[in-house]
Amino acid sequence: MNLKQGIALMSSVLAFGLATEAGAVCTQTAASQADRDLWNTHGCWQDFFLWQYKAYGLRSGDWSNRGWNAACNVNLEFPKHWNASYLLTYGMEDDWNQSFHGTEDYRATAEARSSNFHDSLYHSITDRTDVFGTFTPRFWPWDTDRVETACPLYNPNVSNSNPGSRAGDYMHEGWHAYFDKYNFDNGNTGGHRPGPQGACTINGCDYFYFHGISKYPFGAMWENNGTASKFHSPNQVQVEFLCDVADQSHWWIPLSVRQTAASDANARAASRFINGPGYTCGSPRPW
Amino acid sequence: MQRNTRRVLSRAGTLVVTLGLMSGSAAVAQDKPTSENPSNIPPSRVIAGRPLHSPPKMNAADARKSVNAFITWAGESVVEEQSTARRALASAAKQPELVQAFMEEILAAHESGDTSRALVGLGLLGEMRTYDGAKFLVEFVRKPLPTKGTVIEGELQEEAQQARLQAKAIAGVAYLRNEEFDREVAYQAGNHPSVIVRAEAISAYLWNRGDSLEARKALEPFVRKEERLYLDRVRRVTGEGADAFNRKLTAYLKAHPEVQAPDPVRKDPRPPEEKPNTFDETPPKF
Ligand SMILES: [Zn+2]
Repeated sequence: MNLKQGIALMSSVLAFGLATEAGAVCTQTAASQADRDLWNTHGCWQDFFLWQYKAYGLRSGDWSNRGWNAACNVNLEFPKHWNASYLLTYGMEDDWNQSFHGTEDYRATAEARSSNFHDSLYHSITDRTDVFGTFTPRFWPWDTDRVETACPLYNPNVSNSNPGSRAGDYMHEGWHAYFDKYNFDNGNTGGHRPGPQGACTINGCDYFYFHGISKYPFGAMWENNGTASKFHSPNQVQVEFLCDVADQSHWWIPLSVRQTAASDANARAASRFINGPGYTCGSPRPW
Repeated sequence: MQRNTRRVLSRAGTLVVTLGLMSGSAAVAQDKPTSENPSNIPPSRVIAGRPLHSPPKMNAADARKSVNAFITWAGESVVEEQSTARRALASAAKQPELVQAFMEEILAAHESGDTSRALVGLGLLGEMRTYDGAKFLVEFVRKPLPTKGTVIEGELQEEAQQARLQAKAIAGVAYLRNEEFDREVAYQAGNHPSVIVRAEAISAYLWNRGDSLEARKALEPFVRKEERLYLDRVRRVTGEGADAFNRKLTAYLKAHPEVQAPDPVRKDPRPPEEKPNTFDETPPKF
């Protein structure tokens, strides 16, 4: 065991302690308009949530008082979790000439299975309110990496409690797993560089590795050449996904979902990149 | 965000709890989620069943209620219904009671904390292009940002939330395309305390003036020196093809070599995982 692994262990140990001690749940009083609008396009589709919990490696114990046995109550966390998965599984248009990346990229980043994108992971949930999500690498080789999403993605009175932002966080945390798979170090401030620095105004900053459209074949977002010329950071993958929701999702995606995605993308693009801003997405026409 | 923010904590008790962790992960219960009234209808059929282009009517006599219903419809509406919404808004703009009701609904949504709904409301009001509406949007943009609340990843959540809404509001002010209001947009492009709003003010100002060189020149003196880059920032909009976007990006990177990121940094490899998850069942048919 090297030092880093030891440290990772302590971190996962503490997280485990928190998870078991937490009897609390996030605010469960309501869902945002964007969540409800997307929900109305499927009306609680059973086939999907019975697929989703396996595809995301959800464990019933983590979600027991969060809608595991009330999967159609959109005010609860599990329904909100799978609502976001539904968006990224079916919602993207995958236009090779216009989208940054395709469904296969976004799915492989979010889902549990081991792939070119990351080693195996599973999605859990935490009652923390000071983060949107966390990534905790496995300690033992036979263990599994963990992605946790946190209350601000579920509390109806926080702006990121909408399907686009939640799925955007699956991208972000999934990309921390990518960094671990390919042995990249993104910095020691929660897996980012310290901030504020450059154009980044918050305490965890990334670089934006600008690339054009049609530069990565669909399914190839994971590719890198070890240099800045072919690479992605966690916030960047998140922004590109949110941009694709805003501008390149299927015709039936509600405008509330698109507009909140654009708003999240643009806020992140302006505040989280050292060499920022990233692109701006969505039309400046108000409606 | 985040990897191991808690790593500094808890150096004690590692081994003991590790055993707990191991047994925890060994016993992965995979019992199924359940629900009382699930739907067995694939979404493609649910979507086909929703009538398009039938927004609720807005009327001055019942302004608040009808505007509330309209915002609900608009949030759920899709891109091809935008023109229908715009027509309804153009006619509502002639009725001050309705404009007023939009303002009240926006404030109510903002207060309830539902950013997605407030965004929809702000977009609709901006699209109406009324003097009173724009005045309201300016006041909204000028509201002082919250200074207390929950800090997420070093960012005050309440502040970021309000800034996102103010960014939407400033886009509405710019859309009026009126000299007096454009001065406000230019002012906010340099002076708003949040970069989220300054960035949107710059983008909206330029877009509403056809991204012309003149517009850029007119705006430049208002923009903070260290943020002049925003005047050239690449915007991607719906339907834009790779060639058009990539041309803009190439020009941007050429004009601003300073945005080139450094190469990523390597770290020690970790041992390969022993039990990869190979679940590959395709999702159900849409
Ligand atoms: Zn990309």
